[in-house]
Amino acid sequence: MNGKFRKISKKDLLIGLDRIINDGRKLAALTRKGEKVLYDYVTKSDEILMQYIPTVLSPKKFFLPQDEVILEYTTKGKVTAKIEAESMVLFGIKPCDLHGIKILDEAFAESNGDPNYLAKREKSLIIGLDCSRLCDEKAFCYKVNAQNITTGCDFMLHNTGIDFAVTVYTEKGAEQLDKYFQTEIKSENILDDFNQAKAAAFSKFGTFKQLKQLPEIFENNKNHSVWQTEGDKCLSCGSCILVCPTCYCFDVADEMALNLKKGERIRRWDACMLNSFAVVAGNDNFREEPKDRLKHRINRKFNYLMKKHGESVCVGCGRCVRACLVNISPKTIAETITGELSTGG
Amino acid sequence: MNSNNKLNIKPKDENLYLPEKATITKIKNFTDKELFFELELQNNKPLGHIPGQFIQLSILGIGEAPISISSPPGADNKFEICVRAVGDVTNKLHSFNVGDEIFIRGPFGHGFDDSIIQKMYRKHILFIAGGIGYVPLRSLINKVLKEPELYEKISILYGCKTPDEIMYKEEIAEVAEMGKNIEFLKTVDHGDENWTGNTGVITTLIPQVKFNPLNTIAIIAGPPVMYKFVLISLINKGMPKSNIYMSLERRMKCGVGKCGHCKMEGIYVCKEGPVFNYADIENNEEVL
Ligand SMILES: Cc1cc2nc3c(=O)[nH]c(=O)nc-3n(C[C@H](O)[C@H](O)[C@H](O)COP(=O)(O)OP(=O)(O)OC[C@H]3O[C@@H](n4cnc5c(N)ncnc54)[C@H](O)[C@@H]3O)c2cc1C
Ligand code: SF4
Ligand code: FES
Repeated sequence: MNGKFRKISKKDLLIGLDRIINDGRKLAALTRKGEKVLYDYVTKSDEILMQYIPTVLSPKKFFLPQDEVILEYTTKGKVTAKIEAESMVLFGIKPCDLHGIKILDEAFAESNGDPNYLAKREKSLIIGLDCSRLCDEKAFCYKVNAQNITTGCDFMLHNTGIDFAVTVYTEKGAEQLDKYFQTEIKSENILDDFNQAKAAAFSKFGTFKQLKQLPEIFENNKNHSVWQTEGDKCLSCGSCILVCPTCYCFDVADEMALNLKKGERIRRWDACMLNSFAVVAGNDNFREEPKDRLKHRINRKFNYLMKKHGESVCVGCGRCVRACLVNISPKTIAETITGELSTGG
Repeated sequence: MNSNNKLNIKPKDENLYLPEKATITKIKNFTDKELFFELELQNNKPLGHIPGQFIQLSILGIGEAPISISSPPGADNKFEICVRAVGDVTNKLHSFNVGDEIFIRGPFGHGFDDSIIQKMYRKHILFIAGGIGYVPLRSLINKVLKEPELYEKISILYGCKTPDEIMYKEEIAEVAEMGKNIEFLKTVDHGDENWTGNTGVITTLIPQVKFNPLNTIAIIAGPPVMYKFVLISLINKGMPKSNIYMSLERRMKCGVGKCGHCKMEGIYVCKEGPVFNYADIENNEEVL
């Protein structure tokens, strides 16, 4: 912003976050619940973890909840649309997850926008927290360059060790930053050191060699043996899909209240890795075997949807790799198909 | 400021998932499993569909099911469907009576739009419907039959498993009598004692129709297994793939390109289909 750089001290950051909570807004951040580290609502800033530890579920759950009522009705035939959207701040979202949110934004805003997702999204402020190094050995964001993603947040913080450098991306971000946080304007580029350290930490990791060509390569490898070998391992449990920040398929079901006078139409996460996903009347299943379903899922990430969004739809967060009981990994599959694995790249 | 962050995420005014009320105004018994329904929209507006499109039919407390609109586009607020009872929603609908209310969303999908209709003029139109596949084609069939002079010839091939499964019996009998440039051929896989017509699968009717493959547009709908055999037989006759249209069925939940159920590789059948030109999807491995 006009060659000027903004920074915020750790103390002022926490004060600002508490102000948000005291303003009656929901604040979600990385936090600890018992043994678990997860994104959840917090009631005080000191519950927030600044050091990222990979979470099982991604922040998609805030915009596309696992179960969501979309209609309410009475047996008399009165139907109303239900949209639950509260003013919400998501703090500490990592570049890979920001990329995931951007993909979901595009998918749900497309043509006839999804009312429930968009309402939640419109009422949210997203504060990014940049990564300075790879979070664990299962993450492979660098393969798709997702560690350098900034789109999807309103402003981003970069932890310089002493304080946080701030990059503002949206008007909403600028306005909310000023509203809640005490920042300082610097003339020297305080981001330089952070960026250098980050570049050094990621220097030994490169992208897929043919990142841009992945859709074409996947398109031409529908019969590659990797689908069979990896598909044979797959237990069709669907865990990979639940944890994925960019899987957004859903099922819709009607449920009646116990008094049978009222009911709800609910949408809930569904998984194309489950056997029943593409079954139609007459029990014809369009993706009968695990290998067909795996091929579909991975092609959505690196081919079908990548073509549409212009970027890899797998953000390399590594969640599915951590969740998979039989070690199936999009990275390994992509490397096998591109030939990087066998050539030691 | 980074322009990449300028995605428009403003919610639209209309809610995609909110259905509208319709009243059942007529019910006819076609077969053991299939009923015909006439529905009337309570908002008094025409449905505004084109042939080949579908609605999401809701029964509150049970769920939704994609159902083809089987009447041609009309000026009033009535339209027709034909539903086979196979599960929760469809069986419940079968228990309803005239005067009962249901809910619908739509019309949805890419149907036989103007550009396809233009392409059909002055051509021989060959409809090939297997079983309940007659229903999604009926809207177009009846539109074409209203002005048969616009087409060189109209051939309708209709195959069912048994004679009891034939739907729209009276209507079909009338069409068969229309003469002029219209022919209607039926077949059943297994006849009964009263059946004197063709027996055999639908592909056995194809050699009975005289057509110039280059001047014929084929339009196909039926159960998943049927497409492959019909396509082989048309292509062997020399029909260009771009002369073949098909209406496909996939599992659908949202009907509006969000839930992912209907995906055929990268294609959303609910939005880009259910009507496709075969040339556009021949390389898609999940079509057949
Ligand atoms: C574009 C389109 C047009 C259709 N038009 C007609 C029509 O005009 N008349 C008609 O009778 N049927 C039509 N169908 C099929 C109809 O949608 C299904 O039979 C119906 O959804 C089953 O719903 P149910 O609740 O009764 O069954 P369920 O209790 O949900 O399930 C019964 C069986 O149907 C399968 N099934 C469930 N949901 C779907 C679904 N959404 N799509 C396909 N199969 C499903 C299940 O796997 C199961 O085998 C059409 C389908 C599509 C996609
Ligand atoms: S496919 Fe796996 S690694 Fe890629 S974004 Fe989804 S969960 Fe993360
Ligand atoms: S039916 Fe939901 S995406 Fe097509």
